[in-house]
Amino acid sequence: MCDKAYDSVMTNEVYSSGSRHFGQTGPKYEVELMTTSQSIFKINASETDVEKIVADIQASVEKKIQEGVYADARIARAERSNLVHLKNEEQFLGFYLTCLRDAVFVDISDFDIRERRQGFAPILVAFKKIVWKLLKFYTYRLWVQQNQVNGLIVTAIEGVDEKNAAKIKQLEARIEVLEKEKS
Amino acid sequence: MGTTQHIAFIVPRFSEEGVLGGAETLIRNLAEHTVSTGRKVTLLTTCAESHFTWENTLPPGKKQVGKLSVEYFPVDEDRDISSFLRIQTAISNGGHFTQDDEKAWIRNSVNSQALYDHLRDHGGTYDRLIMGPYLFGLIFYASQIHPEKTFLIPCLHDEPFAYLHLMKEMFETVSGFLFNAKPEQDLACRLFHIPKEKCAIVGMGLGPFHVDPSAFANRYQLDKPYVLYSGRREPLKGTPLLIDYMQAFRQRTHQDVKLVFTGSGPIDAPPELEPHILDVGFVPEQEKHEAMAGARAFLHPSVNESFGIVLLESWLAQTPALVHAKSDVLQWQCRRSGAGLWFKNYPEFEQELNLLLNNKGLNKEMGQDGRNYVIKEYAWEHVEQKLLSAFD
Repeated sequence: MCDKAYDSVMTNEVYSSGSRHFGQTGPKYEVELMTTSQSIFKINASETDVEKIVADIQASVEKKIQEGVYADARIARAERSNLVHLKNEEQFLGFYLTCLRDAVFVDISDFDIRERRQGFAPILVAFKKIVWKLLKFYTYRLWVQQNQVNGLIVTAIEGVDEKNAAKIKQLEARIEVLEKEKS
Repeated sequence: MGTTQHIAFIVPRFSEEGVLGGAETLIRNLAEHTVSTGRKVTLLTTCAESHFTWENTLPPGKKQVGKLSVEYFPVDEDRDISSFLRIQTAISNGGHFTQDDEKAWIRNSVNSQALYDHLRDHGGTYDRLIMGPYLFGLIFYASQIHPEKTFLIPCLHDEPFAYLHLMKEMFETVSGFLFNAKPEQDLACRLFHIPKEKCAIVGMGLGPFHVDPSAFANRYQLDKPYVLYSGRREPLKGTPLLIDYMQAFRQRTHQDVKLVFTGSGPIDAPPELEPHILDVGFVPEQEKHEAMAGARAFLHPSVNESFGIVLLESWLAQTPALVHAKSDVLQWQCRRSGAGLWFKNYPEFEQELNLLLNNKGLNKEMGQDGRNYVIKEYAWEHVEQKLLSAFD
């Protein structure tokens, strides 16, 4: 699911959005979005407007987050050591929770057991199947409980976040009314 | 004020081989270049080499190291390390601690009574005492002996330790500051009452170099594009974040890009990423510069930087950078140079790295901008001028 989302972003949104000009630092600066997968920006400049590039990327990321493009368990895992830097980012918590929702459950389903090595493949596959069955037998209850705990924690955090957001919205509306009354 | 003739540089560690952290490297370089200007320079340091154990492994006494006259003093061995660590943990985690705890923490930090005695007995022979970085008992106590002639090179970061009462005491009593970058000075002025006339932004000079960009890849038989991190590997430097991001980047984009490390410290990577990591450890400067020149991007995920020596070196190697947006200093360097992009979360990192990997024109342009910037802003003549005008 996530890979498809990624591909569609790269091909449809960034590369097919046609020609665009960014803000310049000087008359020589020109950046153009291209339609090929190899060249996003065409540079014809002696000075690169990195502020504009970053601002454009931030806007693009914000849009894609809203579209759910980055709702990916792998991003939730990747952000674990960055959370301390993001605690003041208002919108980020919502995005992170979406990613976390995807990552929260340990996959305990059966899967296709294969063996790449020729020769003893049938024996090795049979052996691996026995190992997997044993592992599953002894750890299934543990993982089910862990998944319940993980799910409940995320639900609780989402609940607190939603409650806080509603409360803030309510207070903002109240302030607006009070300010109007005052003026 | 007249020309200062005898200057002491004080730094917690000094290595003849030069294998130390950024702050020590910076202070050593400034000391060596001050010698070149004809001033008498003495470097005062401890006998410790390891910043983990602080064991006295070097003999005390005077030694001539290149142009520098170095004097080593033993670290006090009566530290109460468990108290130190307990309070340090409380400070860094935002826990409860009192002003007495702060005093106990600094008392049990790295100290050298022998060095303090030397400053009390011979401090009068020095016109200036230049010392740093700020986060050591050694610097705190040394700065209080002759504050009227003390200049701090604080290498200040926005971290819990910067908010201690002790730091306020130190910053508000010394005679002047040599900052590495404007955001660092702004932070100091925000945290402490420091008159602007006491501040100078000096930084460190870097000499341009020319290396073969394909040499590193040839030496290690790297046939895929790679990105580079140079320096200590530890959570404070953001290396766990870098590993997590590169793992996600490879999985999501299916681009075969390798991650190269130079420097020291453990790398804790998931097994799937390990085959795509090349850790060459400490390498000679020439090899590090070759690694930089061949990289598609230099990655600097640290948020605790006051200057960014390796970032500037990567620009001299004409390699653009990706830095963490939470580092005001690194972001400031990128904005001024036009040679780096900054990210605050994974999605921004993914798009920016994609751009630097796949757009050769932009990559080359930014690399060239970086080199021009460092040559213009951090030429030694320029830095020396700022340094001496701050002293005098």
